[in-house]
Amino acid sequence: MSEVLVEARDLGKSYPLVFRPRDRLRALWHLLAGRGRAESVAVLKHVDLRVQRGESLGLIGENGAGKSTLLKLLTGVLTPTTGSVTVHARVGALLELGAGFHPEYSGRDNISLAAALYGLDAQETRAKIPQIIEFADIGHYIDEPVKHYSSGMVVRLGFAIVASLHPDLLITDEVLAVGDEAFQRKCVRWIEDYLAGGGTLILVSHSMYHIKKLCRHACWLKHGEIAASGDVFAVAQAYQAYQESKSAPAAPVRANILAQNVEFHLLDLVLNDAAAEASIVLAQGETLRASVRVHSRDGRVPVVLFGVARADGTPVYGVSSEMDGVRPRRESEQVYSIEIEFADLALLPGAYLFKAHPLDPEGVRLFDTLERSVTISGQSREMGTVHLRHAWLGVEAAAPAGRIGVIS
Amino acid sequence: MPGASLALHFIRRDLRNRYLGSFSGGLWALVQPLVQLAVYAFVFVYIFKAKAPGADAPGFVPFLALGLWPWTAFAEGVSRATTTIQDNAPLIRKIAMPREVLVFSAVASAFLIHGVGFCAIALALRLGGVPVDLLALPLALGEFAQLFVLALGVAFLFAALQVFVRDLAAALPQLLMLWMFASPVFYASESLPPAYRGWFALNPFAHYPEAFRALLLHSGTLGLAAQALALAVALGVLALGLAVFRRLNPHFEDFL
Repeated sequence: MSEVLVEARDLGKSYPLVFRPRDRLRALWHLLAGRGRAESVAVLKHVDLRVQRGESLGLIGENGAGKSTLLKLLTGVLTPTTGSVTVHARVGALLELGAGFHPEYSGRDNISLAAALYGLDAQETRAKIPQIIEFADIGHYIDEPVKHYSSGMVVRLGFAIVASLHPDLLITDEVLAVGDEAFQRKCVRWIEDYLAGGGTLILVSHSMYHIKKLCRHACWLKHGEIAASGDVFAVAQAYQAYQESKSAPAAPVRANILAQNVEFHLLDLVLNDAAAEASIVLAQGETLRASVRVHSRDGRVPVVLFGVARADGTPVYGVSSEMDGVRPRRESEQVYSIEIEFADLALLPGAYLFKAHPLDPEGVRLFDTLERSVTISGQSREMGTVHLRHAWLGVEAAAPAGRIGVIS
Repeated sequence: MPGASLALHFIRRDLRNRYLGSFSGGLWALVQPLVQLAVYAFVFVYIFKAKAPGADAPGFVPFLALGLWPWTAFAEGVSRATTTIQDNAPLIRKIAMPREVLVFSAVASAFLIHGVGFCAIALALRLGGVPVDLLALPLALGEFAQLFVLALGVAFLFAALQVFVRDLAAALPQLLMLWMFASPVFYASESLPPAYRGWFALNPFAHYPEAFRALLLHSGTLGLAAQALALAVALGVLALGLAVFRRLNPHFEDFL
C-alpha cells in the first residue's frame, strides 16, 4: 500500500478585502475577538488532493487560477480558510522566484539560513555548502548580496539548495521557466533521478512539455477549483483544448446564412454516425468518416470541402471533392450528399475541429460552414499535430523508452 | 528543538551584520550607550546638578548607568522586534517557519549586546572606584533575564499588532521615550510626588532600574514580594503577548 504524503480536504483560501487602513483595524478587531473575517475574496475553493509517496503531480492552470496559493497552503506558508491539509513528509519547496532569500545577504548566508530553516545543524550545513555552490554554478556571485543576482541566478541557487536537501516531497513553482537551457536540462535530469529514486514531486508549470515529461498525474485548477485531475495526458489535453478554444475565432452565425437563402447551404454533418451536434472522441489511428448533405438552391452540383483544424483554428489539413475529381451524389432535386473517410488517422492526441463547407461548382466561392469538435485521445509524447511516419536508422533499442519514475 | 538552531542562526546573523558597515564593528555596541551616558551625565550632573538619592550615594553617573543599560536593551529589543515580521516578509511569504523565532531573535540579540555592555560598565565603574558589588553581578544577570522575559512579551504583542496597524512602528519612538521618562531611569521612585507613585505599579518596567541599583550599589532595598510580583508580571505579559501573537499569526501573510 502506498503511503499518503499529502492530503487536502475541502481546502479553501480567501483573502480579506482591505483597501483602507481602517479596514485593517477592523480586521484586527475581528480576529482578536475570534469572529472570522468580514469581507473576503475566495481564491481557492473545495480542493481535494491526495499525493502518495513516489507520485509526481503536475499542477496546471491559467494565471490567477490559484496554483501558487495551493502550493503555499501545502507548504504551510498560508493557513487555510476552510478545510485542512496534512503533510507527512520533509518538504523542500521552491515557491516562485526568490525562494525566501533575504536580498541584503550573500548567497552563502542565504544557504545557511535555508539549511537552518530546513532543520540542519551547523555541521550538516557546512558539509553541504560546497555541493550546493557547485550545483548552482554562479561563480563569485555566491559571496555577493542576493539583490545583485539575475533572476536566473536566484533560481539556480534556490534549486541547488533544494536539490542538496533531498526532501521527501519536492514542491516547485515555475522554476524551469527561468533558468537558461543548460540549467533547465540539469534540473530536469536531477528531477528525473530524484523521481526514479522514489522521490515525490508537485510541480507547477505552464510548459506542458515539462509537465508531461516529469509528471504521471496532473490537476487542472480553473478559477480556484479543480477542473480536472487524473492521468497527466488526459488532463493536459483537456487543458490545452480549453486554451485553444478560448483563442479560436467565433464561428459564423448560421441563422444568417439560412435567412439569406444563399445558393448552397449545409443541411447536416455527421461524423462516424454520431448524433448531430455531438462531439466525438477517437483514439489515435482510428477511422473518421464524415458525411454531409448540401442544399442547392438552383439544383447545381456543389463542390464540398472538408478540413481539420486545431481547436484554436490553425488549419491542419483540407481537401475538396473537386481536388480529387469526385462529385457529390444527387439525392433529390435540390439535395446532394457526399461521404469521406480518413482511415488510420495520423492526428496526435488533442482537440480538433472538423469542418465542412459547400462551394460553388467552380470551387471558388465558399458559402457555408458546419463544424464538429473531435478529440483524439492517447498518451503520445510526440510533439506537434500529426504523426509523421518515420524510422530510426543505425540505432539500437534503448532501455525502457518513455517516462522515468514508473512506479506502480 | 528545530526552533533553537534557527534562532541561533538569526541571532548570529544579526550580530554579525548589525555593525558590518561601520568601522568600529562590534565596539559600536558599547560606544553608543557610553556616548549616551556621557551626554546624560553632562546634562544632569553639570547643568541640573542632579544627585543620586541617599546620603552615601556613589554619585549620579553610576546611578544613571545602571538604569540606562537595561532600558536600552529593553527599548532596542522591543523596537527591533516590532518591525521584524514586516522586515522578513520575503521570508514569511515563501517559507513555512515558526515565526516566533524572528521575534525571539530580535529581542535576544539586543539583550546579548547590551548584557555584555552592562557587565562591562559595571566592571568599568568598579575600576573607577565606584563601590559596585561585583559578587552580585550573577544576580543582576538573573534580573536581566527576567527583564528579557518582559521585553519578549511586549515584543510579541507589538510585532503582531504592527502587521495590522502600521502606525505602531511610527509612533513607537515617542511611545518609548514617554515610557523611559515614566520609569525611574533618571530619578529614583522616592523622588516622585506621592500622588503619582500609585501609577508606578502599572509600569512593568519600573521595577528594574531600582532592582539593579539595589543589587549592585546597595542603594535602596529589594523586597522579595516586589521581586516575585515583577516576575509574575513579566510572565503574565509574555503569556498575553504570545497569546495575541499566536492568534494573529495565521493571518499575517494576508496583511503583509
